[in-house]
Amino acid sequence: MLVPLSWLKEYVDIKLSPKDLGERLTEVGLNTEKVTKQDDDVIFDLEITPNRPDLLSIIGIAREIAAIENTKIKIPKLRQGFAGQAKIKKVLPLTIRTDSKINPRFTGIIINGIEVKESPNWLKERLKKIGQRPINNIVDITNYVMFEFGNPIHAFDYKKIKGSLMKVHRAKGGEKFTSVDGLIYHLPKGAVVISDSEKIIDLCGIKGGLDSGTYNETETIFIRVPVEIPVLIRKTATSLSLRSEASSIFERGVNAGGTVDALKRCVELVLDIAGGQIASELFDIRKEDFLSRKLNLELDRLNKILGIAIPEKEVLNLLQRLNLNPLKKTKNIIETTVPTYRNDLKIEEDLIEEVARLYGYNKFPKTIPAGQIPTKQLPYFKNYEMEKMIKNILSACGFSEISTYSLISEKDLLENNIVPDKTLRVDNPVSREFEYLRPSLIINLKKALLQNKPYFEQINLFELGKVYVGSNIGSAQEFYFLCGISNNKNFYEIKGIIEKIFEDFGVNEGGAKYIQIFDEGIYFELNFSDILSKINLSKKYKPIPKYPPIIEDLAIEVSEKITVGDTIEEIKKQSPLITQVSLLDVFENSKTFHIVYQHRERNLTNEEVSKIREKILEALKKKFKIRLKE
Amino acid sequence: MEEELIQIKNSAVSLVLDAKDYRELEELKIQFLGRSGKLTLAIKEISKLPKEKRPEIGRLANEVKKSIEDTISTQQTRTKKETSDELKEKLDVTIPGIKPSIGHLHPMTQVIYDVVDIFKSLGYQVADGPEIETDRYNFGILNFPKEHPARDTQQTLYLDTRKTNIASGEIILRTHTSTMQGRVMEKSKPPLRAIIPGKVFRYEQIDASHGFEFWQFEGYAVDKNITFTDLLGTLDYFVRKFFGEFTKIKFASHFFPFTEPSLEGYISCMACKRNGCSFCKYSGWVEALGGGMIHPNVLKEVNIDPSKYQGFAFGTGLSRLVTLKYQMDDLRLLTNPDLRILNQF
Repeated sequence: MLVPLSWLKEYVDIKLSPKDLGERLTEVGLNTEKVTKQDDDVIFDLEITPNRPDLLSIIGIAREIAAIENTKIKIPKLRQGFAGQAKIKKVLPLTIRTDSKINPRFTGIIINGIEVKESPNWLKERLKKIGQRPINNIVDITNYVMFEFGNPIHAFDYKKIKGSLMKVHRAKGGEKFTSVDGLIYHLPKGAVVISDSEKIIDLCGIKGGLDSGTYNETETIFIRVPVEIPVLIRKTATSLSLRSEASSIFERGVNAGGTVDALKRCVELVLDIAGGQIASELFDIRKEDFLSRKLNLELDRLNKILGIAIPEKEVLNLLQRLNLNPLKKTKNIIETTVPTYRNDLKIEEDLIEEVARLYGYNKFPKTIPAGQIPTKQLPYFKNYEMEKMIKNILSACGFSEISTYSLISEKDLLENNIVPDKTLRVDNPVSREFEYLRPSLIINLKKALLQNKPYFEQINLFELGKVYVGSNIGSAQEFYFLCGISNNKNFYEIKGIIEKIFEDFGVNEGGAKYIQIFDEGIYFELNFSDILSKINLSKKYKPIPKYPPIIEDLAIEVSEKITVGDTIEEIKKQSPLITQVSLLDVFENSKTFHIVYQHRERNLTNEEVSKIREKILEALKKKFKIRLKE
Repeated sequence: MEEELIQIKNSAVSLVLDAKDYRELEELKIQFLGRSGKLTLAIKEISKLPKEKRPEIGRLANEVKKSIEDTISTQQTRTKKETSDELKEKLDVTIPGIKPSIGHLHPMTQVIYDVVDIFKSLGYQVADGPEIETDRYNFGILNFPKEHPARDTQQTLYLDTRKTNIASGEIILRTHTSTMQGRVMEKSKPPLRAIIPGKVFRYEQIDASHGFEFWQFEGYAVDKNITFTDLLGTLDYFVRKFFGEFTKIKFASHFFPFTEPSLEGYISCMACKRNGCSFCKYSGWVEALGGGMIHPNVLKEVNIDPSKYQGFAFGTGLSRLVTLKYQMDDLRLLTNPDLRILNQF
């Protein structure tokens, strides 16, 4: 929100420099994004948090500044009676039918004999400074008072209200509505609207209608200052994607106690600037009187939450500066009176924040929690050491880590032969490029490999990240996957890396099934969540053997169809004294195996070994039809 | 025989001490100790001696052998050193070394490790939860009523619920890691200290400082006497550990539906040391953290009695911490798999 210093100064004396004021405003919660000098004025650009409807007005901000400066605010004095007019000369008819369930307060009045024209310069300038476009004196006044007081106001052309009837009701859904800016909307079911005897003339809390607006020929206006229900306004605004200054205020919860004052201020300005006379009673149809509320603050609790004892006198002073009229009830309890414009103050903690923020967060000491350190393992506990371990293995093997988007496109899926229809999908993607949740990591890794190709010869990348599986959201599951890609490592190197990972994690599994070869290189992908569930890191020392092993190499000729894995398996089966079998060399169909024989308790004799060797050869001959190499 | 052995020893030792380099020593070793070396041949002669003389001569032969071996090995160590220096002189030592091809860990990973380590030292445990979330954990428990404008600060990506009987809008991609307040707390009892790094999603167009996917971490502590000043102290400790001990932090009041009182933390700009630069928009400070005392409504939702227990929660964009730490000017660099970027970390 844009706030000119000159306008603020009308309501509050400011001693702080604009820069210091901006810093203090930020500290108390009005984040000052920018302070800009403009001619002889200074414009503050403030970020208003969604809990503070009152700060969407200049007076609201002036109140905060008054609290900071420890001074009083000067609200424009309203004239005696109603806009200074004692008697109403001519009363025009108007029937209002409303429902407090959808419209808690409906305040309004008719003014007759106005002249619609351009606004005076001072008014136009003020509006321009806060980023509003001047339209005509009536529209400008309603806007001006909304920004001044924080209550949205709408002026209807009285003569366009057919049947002199205003009926507040909810839309059936699908009705056409043309807004003041000439856009046609199809209303959602339940939108709160006002109809006259013929059609909808107002989309409550959001936008007025085109036909019933104020134009040059307008002579009589009905000014409405309502209280709307935040949820209802928000639902309609969201479904139409239509937001206005008014709707932002109503969504946050307008000052329900402020409608009459805002109307009075508006009427005074209309009579002064556009002329005319009041031509109706003051309509104020309301659910309740909307008075200030009492809210207690316990000093003990204040100190217990904040961690410091702010002196009672200081607490009272801070609350007083915020117009909360603190009253000491007992030794421990302070009763405050919360004005209707502060509907964000609902519970004691809200008052604690008020005290703390005006006291100044940066005056607090800084402490570290006392008490015991929890030792019980948390639900959803994650052991980061496991992730560190696996990432260290991969980086040691030359792989660099990448981190890519979880959201991918339909094209990505199709290129990888994945059915989009069976992939989890976002209903409102930011773009078609990021519409589906990735069911695999390889899609992005393949792209990353290609992206790096022009600059690097040897590319080794990995990602450890989530994949999202399930054909619809009802069966959705998330897993951590680990995927690596390489354009310079061969199958056995990749297999070795996976085997190394499994070995370090104590998982008893082979690596080959996770590996795929493709045009550009080779990759592997495995379910890391699954590995974590099988992990076994317990280690037990085995004494080193006291007796030397007997080692020999066995060269055989065997059909290429017989796998090394099966051969090793078969060799191992022949005796428990064979502690290790590995492949030493392969040439065409000749393979050499390295065999270690060992007994843990004594020396092996050559005879024992030669017996086992015979057994091995016999078994291999029988099963795989091997020949011993000459 | 005795004399012969002593003579061999003397001549060997003097030759060894005179030897000029390693190679010459190797030759002497063969000459005396090799298979047909002088000493070896002499030792073979011992068997020809009378039985009673053999042990004495044998012992002497061994002594001679050991003394020659020791002298050669001492000399070899010495000449080896000299040779190494000589060799190095012949090399161009300014040629860059051949580095082992070790990969690089993503800067995000390195920052997560840092963050986790800092909070581990304060007694926090890491928790990890789902990214596909329900409205309840993302908003409901955290005191974001339906149709509340506070939800505008967390533009949401909704998941397609067709082909299921789940109401549209109920299943979303989590917009913050604060979801793990409800998930963890409803299953445990105070005292609690948790830290949750993770990926979050927002309906936001991509530019240098925004994205639809980024990383956050959430932390919280709940116990009987956890106070607001504890929050200030914890955040101060964190930023000084993470960014360096001279980092300054200042706080401002803010609004989050799930904390009350709430704050934002700004840290002194590490790019310009508070002199003002484009990185901190010439303010000397950068917005880095959010937090507050956990709202009583949140505690009630997870069946923790807010009159007995209280706690604080805080969080920040991890992606932002990475860009701040390494002074990267664009969030998109973190999801770009370009090795020219990654090799810098």
